[in-house]
Parts: sequence; C-alpha cells; structure tokens
Amino acid sequence: MSQLHVAAPASKAVPLVQATVDCYPEQVAEVGGKAVGLGRLLRAGQPVPASFTVTAAAYRQFVAGGADEVPAAVIEAIAEGYAELCERRRATIPVAVRSSASVEDSDEASCAGQFKTFLGARGVAQVVGEIRACWLSAFDPHVDAYRAERSGAAGDAQVAVVVQELVDARAAGVMFTQHPRSGDRSLVVIEASYGLGEAVVGGEVVPDLFEINKITRQVVKRSMGQKSHEYRLHTDGDQVERREVDAARASRWAIDDGHVAALAEMAAELESALGPGLDTEWALGSVAGSADEASLFALQVRPITTDPRARLGPPGTTAAAAAARPPAAASAVDLILGRLSGPGPALP
Amino acid sequence: MKPRREFGNPYEVETPPGADGWETMYPSHMIFGQELRNRDEGKLWFFDQMHNPEPVYPFDLIMPESWLVSLNQYTTRVWNLPTALGIEQRIVNGYLYLSPNVIDDPEQMAVNQPIFQERARYYFENWDRIYDRWVQKATDCIGRLKEMHFEPLPEREPLETVLSAAGTTSSFQLLTAYSRLLENMHEMAYYHFELLNLAYGAYLTMLEFCKAQFPAITDDLVARMVAGIDVILYRPDAELRRLAQRAVELGVADAFGGDQSPDAVLESLSASAAGKEWIEDLEQVKDPWFYYSTGAGYCHANRPWIEDMRPPFAAISDYIARVQRGEDLRRPLEHLQAERERIANGYRALLSDEDAPVFDSLISLSRQVFPFVENHNFYVEHWHHTMFFGKVRELGAVLVAGGLLERDDDIFFLHRYEVYSLLYELQINWSLGPGVPTRGETTWRREIDRRRRLYDALAAWSPPPALGVPPERVTEPITVTLFGINNETVQRWLAAEGADGSDDRLEGLAASPGVAEGRARVVRSVEELDALVDGEILVCPLTAPSWSIVFARIAGAVSDGGGIMSHAAIVSREYGLPAVVATGAGTKLLRTGDLIRVDGDAGTVDIVERAGPRPAGGTPVEVGA
Repeated sequence: MSQLHVAAPASKAVPLVQATVDCYPEQVAEVGGKAVGLGRLLRAGQPVPASFTVTAAAYRQFVAGGADEVPAAVIEAIAEGYAELCERRRATIPVAVRSSASVEDSDEASCAGQFKTFLGARGVAQVVGEIRACWLSAFDPHVDAYRAERSGAAGDAQVAVVVQELVDARAAGVMFTQHPRSGDRSLVVIEASYGLGEAVVGGEVVPDLFEINKITRQVVKRSMGQKSHEYRLHTDGDQVERREVDAARASRWAIDDGHVAALAEMAAELESALGPGLDTEWALGSVAGSADEASLFALQVRPITTDPRARLGPPGTTAAAAAARPPAAASAVDLILGRLSGPGPALP
Repeated sequence: MKPRREFGNPYEVETPPGADGWETMYPSHMIFGQELRNRDEGKLWFFDQMHNPEPVYPFDLIMPESWLVSLNQYTTRVWNLPTALGIEQRIVNGYLYLSPNVIDDPEQMAVNQPIFQERARYYFENWDRIYDRWVQKATDCIGRLKEMHFEPLPEREPLETVLSAAGTTSSFQLLTAYSRLLENMHEMAYYHFELLNLAYGAYLTMLEFCKAQFPAITDDLVARMVAGIDVILYRPDAELRRLAQRAVELGVADAFGGDQSPDAVLESLSASAAGKEWIEDLEQVKDPWFYYSTGAGYCHANRPWIEDMRPPFAAISDYIARVQRGEDLRRPLEHLQAERERIANGYRALLSDEDAPVFDSLISLSRQVFPFVENHNFYVEHWHHTMFFGKVRELGAVLVAGGLLERDDDIFFLHRYEVYSLLYELQINWSLGPGVPTRGETTWRREIDRRRRLYDALAAWSPPPALGVPPERVTEPITVTLFGINNETVQRWLAAEGADGSDDRLEGLAASPGVAEGRARVVRSVEELDALVDGEILVCPLTAPSWSIVFARIAGAVSDGGGIMSHAAIVSREYGLPAVVATGAGTKLLRTGDLIRVDGDAGTVDIVERAGPRPAGGTPVEVGA
C-alpha cells in the first residue's frame, strides 16, 4: 500500500506556525498539500530547502480580524520561524512564500499554479507582507472558479503558507516517477529548464525532456526544449528577474547526464519511501546567501493526478494493461493458446 | 514529406534494363499472373529482405518453396491456427515478396480453436521431451545428408555391378540420390517449423504482455530477459576465441600476421610441432562448428567456414591481437546471467501483485522454449543448409564432368526440377556411349549464359520494401514475429517511400542498445566488406550474424531489414554494438562517408554531416572508399 497516506504519530491542535517536517497528510486541511508533500520529502531523507509552515489557523485569525491587518500573534509566530531559518545560515536570507491550500496537491486534483507564489522576500516585514498577499490571492475569482469545478468546495479554502529558503536555481523542473500519460512505471520522466522552476511549472517555456529506464538507468529518450527565458535571483538576492536565454545557451541541455542520473536516483528513493506514481518538483542550485556548491533539491512531491490508473481504479492498472489483463489464474500455456486463438493486439 | 497509403502496384513494377524475360527462370506459381490480378494488387506484399536480400537463384528457390510448404502446413493443417492461413510468395524482378493471409470469419475461427488448442497444448506441455527428440531427428537428418556423395559417372560400370547382380547402374543411382537429396532438404524444412511457430507464439505473448504493462519497453529488453545464455548458436564464435587463445599459448600466433591466405597460414603452421598441434585442434572442432555461414543461410553463395576459411581466420587473427593486448575473450556467462536476472527482476518489481505471477509464468515458459529459437538456427540454417548447398555443388561438378555445364556453380541457375531434366539428359548421353555428340553440350551452356546476364541485371535493381495495399492492421502472428513486419514497420516504409533523402533522420527498430557516431560504410555484399575501415558504422541490407570479422571492427550497425529477433539483432547484442534494424531504406538514403549517429536505444539514425553534395542523377556515389 502507498505510504503517501501514513498517519502522523499523534494528532494534536495545530499551532499558527509549524515545522514542515511535522506536517502529515491528515493535517492537510490545516497545513495544506504543499506542506504535506514537503513533510514527506523531509521524512524520506531527501535534500529539501529548510522551511516552516504558516497554518490555516493563522489564516483564520487574519480573516476573523477583517482580512486587513495581520494579527500581532501571527506576526510573532512568523518572525520566530523566519529567525530560525536565518539562524541556520547566519544571514538575513531571501525566502519563497508559497500558498499551501487545503485543496491544492490533493490526490484528486493538482491546482498547481492556481495560487500565487512570491519569491525573494527578505526580512520579517517583507515576509509577512508576502504571506498576507498570498492569503488575499485566495479571494481571486479565477481560483474560486477552478476550485468549484474540481470539488464544489468553492470559497471556503483554508490557505496555509510555506515559507522556504529560496534556492538560487540555475536549473529546475519537474519529475514524474512514471510516465504521466501512458502510466508506464518503468520510466522516470524529467523536464528541465534554466533558472527557477516557475518557468516550467507555469508552462512558459518548453523544457528539455529526459526519459530514463528505471531498470537499466539508461536515458531512453531526450528532446531539446525551447528555453527562451529564465527566472533568476537578482544579484542582491531579494528580487527575481526574468532574463532572456541566448541562442547558444538555449541549444545546450539544461542539466548534464550526471544530474539526470542523480534525479533518477532520487526518484527511486522517493518511490521506495512513498510508493509509486509521484509528481515532484526539483531544483539544481544553492540556497541563496550560502556559499555551497550547486546541488539538487526536492521542492515538492505529490501523487500524479493525470495517472490513467487513477481513472481506472485499482492501482497498477494502465488502460492497455487492463484491456490485456488475463484471467488471474491463467497459466502461460493458456495465455499463449488464447493469444494465438484470436487476432490479438497487433504490435506495437 | 507526405506519408502514403499504399505501396507501388505489383503489376506495374518496371523490369530493369537488360532483364527482359527474367520470369522464365522461375516456376509460374511464383509469378504475378493476370488471373489473380484483382485480388493480388489489393494485398500487402513485403520484400523478404531478412532471408533473401539478393535476387533468388533458381535452384535456391528450394529454400522459400520448402519453407512455404512446411511452415504453412503447420499453420493450416497441423496446428489449424484459428487466425491465419498460409503465407504466399511471389518473385518480382528476381526478389522474393511475401503476403500473409488471415482468417477473419468468426465461425471458421471458432471451428479451429478447440482443434488448435488441443494440438498446441500437447507440444507446450511436453516441450522438453519433444525438443530432445527434435535434436535427434535433426541430427539424424544431417547425418544422412553427410553420407550422400555425388561422383562423376564412370567410364565403364564397375565390375561390382555385375558381380553383385545389382541390376541397376550408376546413372540410375545418381538420379535416385538426387531425389533423396531433395527429400532430405524438404524433411529438414519440416523440422525447422515443427516448434518454431509455437516458440514464437510464446515470445509474442510475452512481448505483448510486457508492452501492455510498460508501453515504453523495447523489444530488445524483452529479448534480453528471455534469451538463452549458453546456447550452441554462439559456439562457433566461442571456438574461434578458444583457437586464438590456444595459438597464443602454443606460441604460434605470429603465423596469423599480415594478410596471408588461410592456406599460407596453415602451411607455415605445419612447419612446427606446436603449429601441427594447433591444426589438429582445428580439425577436431571444424565439424560441426565450422558449418557456419556468412549469411542468413538461404543462398548457396553464403559459403560455410568449412569451405571458405577466410572469415574465421580473419576473426582468429583479430582475437589473437586482443589476447595479446591482455583481454579475456571468454564470454562472461555469469555476468550475462546476472544481467538477465537483474532486468527481469527490475520489471517484475514494478508489477502489481496480480500481474507478477502472470509475468513469472510467461517468462518461465519463454525461457523454456527460447533455446530452441536460437539453437535451431545452427542446426537448420548453418549446419544442414550449408552442407546441403555443398552437396548440390558436388552435383554441379558431376554435370561439368558430363560436359553439360561449364562450372559447378552453374547448377544454381537452374530450378531443381530442371536439374532433374539435366541429369536425365546426362543419363541419355552416358547411355549412348563415349564419343557420340549431343545437343545438351551447347543448349544448356547457352541458357546458363542468358540467365547469368539476367541475374546480373536483376542484382542491380533496388527492390522496394513492399508492394500493394497494406491491411488496416498487420496482425498475422508469423508475419509479426518471424518476419518482424508490424503496423509500425509498414508506416515507416510508407513514410520512407515519400522521402527524397533530404531528411536527416531515419527511424528503425532499436535492436541493440548504445549510441555510436562514425562514418557510414554502405556494404551490399560480403565482398564489399574488404573496404571497411575500423570504427566505421556498417550500413547494409541485412546484418548477417556471422560477419564476425566485421563486428569486432565496427562502431555500430544499421540495416534496411531485420526484426528484433533476426539473427542480426541477436548477434549485435552479443557483440555489444549499438544497432538499428528495419530502417527500410538505409542503404538508399545513407552514403559511404556520411557522418552518422546510431542510437540503438531510440532506434534512430541521424545524419550528422553529409559526405558530399548529392549527385544530380540521384544515384548514390561512393565517397571516401
């Protein structure tokens, strides 16, 4: 059984701000899907940028107070969380402020990109300001419409927010631990482009594509994307800017084979910790403000929502496999005789 | 480039210059006739490039005709396959084209099903016992062939004929021996297909199961999961490696230096005691392991090593160099075994609890039947068929001695039943007594000359991969597995028909993994292999498995034809070379000297850089040879 749904050790009242490693699936209403995903990654021992989660309890206090000024108790809790992040790096670091709504990243639907993300906030005042803006984006009418269509739960989203060390990504993208369309479980599919992952997630660029066979670890398919631009941290580290990618750089692969292999390894580790069928976001870079070499980070993990298996019911069922599935107890001889008795599926 | 819906009309194929009258070399049932025009021009006819890349010599037609009989009889009369009828054959400009027939009437299928299931089940459930018997039958058939000898008719009947009161004479015995030779060939053809259809059926079921579960799995990976590790098909090459090692151990490796002929090498070896020991070792293993041909085994021109020692000696010489560089030439059996298990276990681990036992059952049966698929190739195509052609050549020498032919190879320009006429004519001449002039001494030679000119004209023609109209889906199991023709192949061919060579990518089947970049060397026959330079990529109509001298030197292989289970693909994997097969038109669209990249994982061949401007006439020009 998938370990995506493993229960938390014990349930308790959710505080205004919570360590992300303690965010468990059954708290999804309070901490949101993104925090749940990061919690999974952290507990699976993956390299994840440090973060804390501002829970829906904080959002409710904000709304109860008229959705204008952020209550002092909430500011205090946020300041504490931010101070811890800065303490680890011994600097006033820029962070990414990402919404983690209860309906986002659920197993049924991925609302990825429907809520706003704010990159590059630095200092308590900016961080609180961005969190406030994130909450307000929940009132954005087109998010409501999307939510209504998916779940009928319009208007009552509980917006939690993840505040995360910003990775100065020189390349980033998404990774599926099985083919998102065919459902082929022997493939890892990686999409990669230059800069922060927003250009890929937002569909602004055509990323480079790599398909890796999990068993042989060979790259079985690669196609060059059209990486027209990228989002990078401004040299000050507190602003994100859009840069054009020149033709020579655009015609090179966004990541080298070593990183492709390392990502495939990450996919294998994630599947063994969390079960099959994962959709992840990743970045290659260093944490802003640190002097570390660029390395790989996992930024998000959730079940693949376009998996044909999900539509078909029982796990491990692709459309083609379901059609070709023989009776459970059939022997190989019966299968072969059956196959040769009818026209069968022509190859391929 | 716009993909087309159908191929050229088989009734409108132009005869190449100088080949008018080519039809007279073949029996009428092999030629497209007006009686069946309405039907035949609406069917798919694909070029059997895998087995007959060259125009078929009239005598060599015994191979396709005998497999048509045996393969189809197993399909239609023995197993009663519910979905398939026999595969038809036609000759177009000398080249062999095939067309599958299917049963699509549900009632007929229903009638056949229980009959088929009872019969095929018996074979699957008794496989090991039946396979053991098969080896006995095949070996016995080969043994009887080996005992057949054809000698020129004597000046006078031996005294023994009188003393034993035999009653019949040498010429009568020659004709009966010839009948036995043909019967022996037809008998082996039955054994060829006795188990093959069922074995491929097992493999097909396994392949389809894997593709349904893992749409991206390549045929190559499925083949690697079921392929036998220690099968006798690899034994001839293993013997060459061993002989190379032995030459180094005995200190006689120097005898193989330079470009000496095998005879010269043997002569210098026989000068020393150690060299004699090596020769003795060679003699021990030559029979049967040197009954190994430089081709698919369906053409008399593919001489076995035992008749032409150049290929094995060149390979030994290459292996010696590798031994001297400190390489271990033994095949890493344990490593191959572990790799096979690793791949199978890797895929199995991804299956649901429900599907994993099905996978186990299929892989176990596939592995049980697969050694036959690999080994039959040695028994049938190599050992038996090359020996058979050797016997026919002996018979040719008998006709040369009788004054009817000029050279022993001329016999291959005659259909086997024409040879019977010729032998009867020889008997007539011999009966007349010495010195009586006969017509046959000029008529047959004139006919052979005419056919030789026709054949050369046909050999210059490039046969299209298919003719006629493809069905909506190619489903006939033998066409799919044995000939490697499926929907994708047909689509690729249709696309290639519309191509003008301006594309810089060819698509084929990924036959052996890896990526290689190098200069293309277009090779259409064994003779052209000499021009090959180390590190080039072999581009050929068909990758013949036993061009072993070449496999040690090339960086990769591309072939027009061939399926994933063709001998070619199997051996490319064995040699660890990236290979793409079934490109349809690689030898047409690529030119020697082009810089190309072969991707044996993706099944693509990219032209990185053309060797030179394309000639205006459209005829490929050899560059940098």
